Amino acid sequence: MVSVPNVERAAASSSPSSVRSRVKKRLGPDIDGYGFLLPATIVMISLVVYPFCLAIWFSVSDAFVGEPASYVGLENFIYILTEDDIFIETIWNTLLFAFWSVLFKVVLGLSCALLLQRILKLKRFFRGSVLLPFVAPTALSTLGWWLILDPTYSHINWILENMWPFSVMGFGPYNFLGEPTLAMASVIFVNIWRGIPFFIITILAGLMSIPEHLYDAAEIDGASTWRKFRSITLPLLRPVLAIIILFSTIFTLGEFNIIYVLTRGGPMNSTHLFSTYSFTYGILNHEIALGAAVALFLFPILVLIVVFLLRMVRRDTSHEL
Amino acid sequence: MSKQHDQLNKAKKSSSRRKFLQDTGLVTGGLAGILATGIAPATAQTRELKMLTNSHFVPASDVELERQLAEFGKAAGVKTRLDRVAHLQLPAVLAGEVQGQKGHDLVAVGNSNPHLYAKHLENLDGLYEKIGKAGGGFTTKGVGVGPDGHVKAIPWYFISFPLALRTDLIAGIGENLPDTWDDVHRIGSKLKKKGHPVGIQLAHSVDSNMILRGILWSYGAKLVDEDSKTVAVNSKETVEAFKFIAALYKDAMTSEVLAWDDRNNNVCLNSGKCSMILNPISAYRSAVKAKTVDPDNKDLLVHHSINHIMPPKGPAGRHMAASFNNAGVWKFAKEKELAKEFLAFHFSKENAEKHLTASKGYNQPVLAGNALHPLYASNSKYYFAPFIGWYTHAIGWPGVPTAAMATVTDQYLLPDAAASVAVGKASAEDAVKKLETQMKRIYKRAAKREG
Repeated sequence: MVSVPNVERAAASSSPSSVRSRVKKRLGPDIDGYGFLLPATIVMISLVVYPFCLAIWFSVSDAFVGEPASYVGLENFIYILTEDDIFIETIWNTLLFAFWSVLFKVVLGLSCALLLQRILKLKRFFRGSVLLPFVAPTALSTLGWWLILDPTYSHINWILENMWPFSVMGFGPYNFLGEPTLAMASVIFVNIWRGIPFFIITILAGLMSIPEHLYDAAEIDGASTWRKFRSITLPLLRPVLAIIILFSTIFTLGEFNIIYVLTRGGPMNSTHLFSTYSFTYGILNHEIALGAAVALFLFPILVLIVVFLLRMVRRDTSHEL
Repeated sequence: MSKQHDQLNKAKKSSSRRKFLQDTGLVTGGLAGILATGIAPATAQTRELKMLTNSHFVPASDVELERQLAEFGKAAGVKTRLDRVAHLQLPAVLAGEVQGQKGHDLVAVGNSNPHLYAKHLENLDGLYEKIGKAGGGFTTKGVGVGPDGHVKAIPWYFISFPLALRTDLIAGIGENLPDTWDDVHRIGSKLKKKGHPVGIQLAHSVDSNMILRGILWSYGAKLVDEDSKTVAVNSKETVEAFKFIAALYKDAMTSEVLAWDDRNNNVCLNSGKCSMILNPISAYRSAVKAKTVDPDNKDLLVHHSINHIMPPKGPAGRHMAASFNNAGVWKFAKEKELAKEFLAFHFSKENAEKHLTASKGYNQPVLAGNALHPLYASNSKYYFAPFIGWYTHAIGWPGVPTAAMATVTDQYLLPDAAASVAVGKASAEDAVKKLETQMKRIYKRAAKREG
């Protein structure tokens, strides 16, 4: 038997306002915030989470264009690791490509940002100019490099062979895209050219945010330029550097356009990266499962890099606080 | 006057309001009717034949195809539509249609696609026989055939690889035109010393895949057996062919060919640098269009001294590979019968010849009866064309072009193996063994998938 007060309480608890208050109690006071997040969440789920989960499914299935797929466990990963010599070469190529590209982008990006910080005349012009490689569509700008590095009529070779003083120095001609080491160096170079504006602009923003008084104090203490760079600039730039290294590593490891336009993975597979090899398997060979396995092989490496760099950022920012 | 105007306006307004209500009622009622019955009104039920092909290098070829479609559509009382995509995008579009089981009725399916999509393509054995009989027989066997032995697509046309050469340069060193690969090596070696090398890609390019197959076959080597399943690349003939390629590279070519794509050899010939390349007639046609002047002789336009001859022969005869385009009908097509009827219409001698003419000779016929086309007699540069079909094979020869062979092709295994021997990275024997291992891995996987 339900007493009258209990009935009232039950009725009250089932009213819309009480449901709202209970939800509010559970989710916190900013319940409307979840509503505002909903559109972004839907977009994220449909465009990022769903394709990612689908890729994971493909990588553990025998998916082939036009065929029903069934679960095969880690068979695809075992296949590419144990039987596919091109994939082993691809792992090495990708790591080499990413390491040198990111390293040069950090060093050159930092150097250029420091220079740009000091430039006072035509400041806007120079800062705007460095963004050019970044704003031009990659496929289009890479086509330009394709002509510059052309095996038969390379612009660089023409300059080396026909223009003084290079013509008397006896350099070249170089087979930029036909010799394995040079081809890898060429694609790394184009990637650096393309990616460096991102580093310059972000580091420049980081440099601007360093309080001037720290340098003034160091100056009073008689610190040298190198000491100021080592003890003030670099430590305070670390969170910024960590974030751009993180982004750049992810983008560089997934580079596709530059390779596809310049070398198509050649010569002799010396520039095949995960993305281009995954494209070959998944799209050209219709082996969706193997394409997904190649692409996802990168995922654990990326997770490790992300965890490491984010921990570094958190440690640096908490130290700052 | 103004009162009259007001009355008129009022009448207009009420009339348009009434008209609006009537129209709205019609539309609402009509939509409700369509939704309830699920049948579109008769005016919307017009049948449509949809065709998908890659954009042709010669746009006039597509114009003629579209004209034939329209002519056929008019006679059959149906609408027609020709969709074109860039040739590199075609595989992705085909894959999308197969995945979605929806799309066009009639599709261009090149090389190994009839084998790859065999389960999704209609059997066209009867039509193949009918078209073949009327056209004097097909010059190449096995093209368009699926793994079950049924014809899945009608061989449409091929784009051949004759030897395009500079006749003036060869005459200049007192040589006759080359007939064998050894001739190419000898003449090429002499001309390289004069700054005019031979240009054959040893790189990730379609041309490389085709030409190197031609060399291997001319030496009696083969990648697979006639059953299209057994990898047969590890033979002394392949080793000999690789040794020849290495010698040709060393003596008659330059290292540029290791990075060439399909465009570079055209540029090399047309600029006056290369003495010989293996290429479709596009290189010559570009030279005609560009009117390039010979760098060594300012009075000479390069295209005047370019000619085409049959691909060279080796110890095992004259062979060359080519890209074959075929036409297939999806099983999930809405207008299967209509699509087949159009194919019969398109392959009639009259229409096939018009298509060839519009393509300016690119679309080389796979029907023997159409090969001796007046267009090929009109220009001495095309004299090779009617006969090259007899020496031209698809990528899987002596078998059929299979999905596994497409993988071997798309991964550029043969160009890479040949290049590694040419640059001294591997011996011919080791490169052949490695190629065999790679191919066996691919064929084993394909066999497992195909059950």
